[in-house]
Amino acid sequence: MFLGIDIGSSSSKAVILDENLNLLGKAVINTGTGTLGPEKAIEIALSKAGLSREAIKYSIVTGYGRITYAKADKQITEISCHAKGVAFMEPNARTVIDIGGQDVKVIRLDDGGRVENFVMNDKCAAGTGRFLEVMARILDCDIEMLASLDAESTKEIIISNTCTVFAESEVISQLSSGAKRENVAKGAHHAVAKRVAGLAHRIGIRPEVVMTGGVALNKGVVSALSQEIGQPISVVKNPQIVGALGAALFAAEMFKK
Amino acid sequence: MNSIEQMISNFEEQSKYPAKAVAKVMKETGKKAVGCFPYYTPEEIVYAAGMLPIGLWGGQTEIKSADKYLQSFCCSIMRANVEMGMKGTYDLLSAVIIPTYCDTLKCICENWKTAVPNIYLIPMVYPQNIRIEAGVTYMMAEFKRVQAELEKVSGRAITEKDLLDSIEVYETYRKTMQEFVSIVNQYPNTLNARTRHFIIKAAYFSDKKSYTAKVAELIAELKKLPAEKFDGLKVVITGILAEPAALLDSFVENNIAFAADDLAQESRQFRTCIGSGKTAVEKLARRMSDQSCSLLYDDKKTRGQLLIDLVKENNADGVVVSMMKFCDPEEFDYPIFKKELEAAKIPMLYLEIEQQMDAAEQIRTRIQSFAEMMDKH
Repeated sequence: MFLGIDIGSSSSKAVILDENLNLLGKAVINTGTGTLGPEKAIEIALSKAGLSREAIKYSIVTGYGRITYAKADKQITEISCHAKGVAFMEPNARTVIDIGGQDVKVIRLDDGGRVENFVMNDKCAAGTGRFLEVMARILDCDIEMLASLDAESTKEIIISNTCTVFAESEVISQLSSGAKRENVAKGAHHAVAKRVAGLAHRIGIRPEVVMTGGVALNKGVVSALSQEIGQPISVVKNPQIVGALGAALFAAEMFKK
Repeated sequence: MNSIEQMISNFEEQSKYPAKAVAKVMKETGKKAVGCFPYYTPEEIVYAAGMLPIGLWGGQTEIKSADKYLQSFCCSIMRANVEMGMKGTYDLLSAVIIPTYCDTLKCICENWKTAVPNIYLIPMVYPQNIRIEAGVTYMMAEFKRVQAELEKVSGRAITEKDLLDSIEVYETYRKTMQEFVSIVNQYPNTLNARTRHFIIKAAYFSDKKSYTAKVAELIAELKKLPAEKFDGLKVVITGILAEPAALLDSFVENNIAFAADDLAQESRQFRTCIGSGKTAVEKLARRMSDQSCSLLYDDKKTRGQLLIDLVKENNADGVVVSMMKFCDPEEFDYPIFKKELEAAKIPMLYLEIEQQMDAAEQIRTRIQSFAEMMDKH
């Protein structure tokens, strides 16, 4: 049995695979690095798989918290793990867009599904899940509700500030001058999409485009991003666990070596 | 610790604690010190005046006072220089020379007079067109003006012989450093990204003559050893500088060696030899005229080819772009050489850096991802 752990900035994910790479257990916990999140995620994944820790033959940790997590056999970056996970689930994917809690990555894959090039955002919350969390707070809704608000929108309120802090004041002033929450939600999704599309264009977008990470669960962002890059985007099943899945796949590979 | 380790450790000590190193060399030589702002101040003239040219390349300091003069979107080296000037770190200097290559440097020239009034300022303007004869003539006039200013600071006249002797010291330094960077490929474990940087940087806080002798000694000791085995990646690094040390440590951790560099703080300082000319000042001006750097106008746009050649000559696996955040001249060059490197199918890693990066996590992920990506190829 092989374990992949993805410790992000805002969530922890674990995946357990058997020798034939079948998924035995998975878990997503909404607390990330520096918390008990990683341990909880592993426990839940193990209990779903009906296994104890001793059954794990090899484990790989990835994500922002990978350096400080000492219990895995090896650490690999989330760039390599997301690419690995996507190539396994969607062999035709050539561009991976991963939007997580605090960073955005665009990864281009070669025809063998290996990393060909990649680009990451700067140390800035613009275009990340954190930006959407801030917007959800101002719109007084759960982050999961942003997409359904967007679905009810009649037009897009343009958010011109890239900086999350400035965008927050901009949105507050929009709301106070009577802008509809639904239209602001759409504007927030497009703001993220424009930022991510800019990043993606830096390395070039090759079809098929696949989205991973927690933000991929938000249909509003996926549709806005698809419009911005002018290409269809597919979302893998369980987009949050792709990094952990990639880590588990590497674990299986490395154990066999 | 063997003698090579000891020598490297001494260089590192000098680079990490410049104020201490400069005070020590001032005491040993009895010379005054003159601060030389990046990027190409005529150190030879300072040295000819019997003073120590000290490189001012920023450093690890918290920016507080400098905010009064430089916005957060100015380059981190210049913010650090102004901060340290205001804090008194540079008080041991008798003067500073500030060239005006970029918009930030132009402003600093004016700011310095009020921000750090106790340290005498010698501003310098290089011509835009360094390659044409009129540019050379202008540069010679400017060097003579700076020479007169330095004579005031040192209190003695600088003769032609002083200048020619100083040029010889610098020419020996440049040739020695060219040899040093070329042997890195044979000893990439000993001269890893970190040690290589600290050895080169120590030159800014030393007397050039004795520094050169020490580097020559290190080269001689290294040459006694067989070439080292290395199974990591070799890259060419390009940009203004590659700091802080945490950035360099990430390269070492991921088994990536710098086969060659095109950094303003490193090889760009010594890769161009002295020019021909009837007088010492003409020789200095013609050297500048042959120099290539993002800060110097280059109508032929040669940087891409230079990087491609460095990759080929050194059997490097790729190019790392160490992009100084908010450095316009570097950013203008990037799209041009990026296209050329892509056409030559040379893998590239782009890192945007600030000199005082507290959190190097993202950079670390990028460097590790690059190593993992190249490993699969």
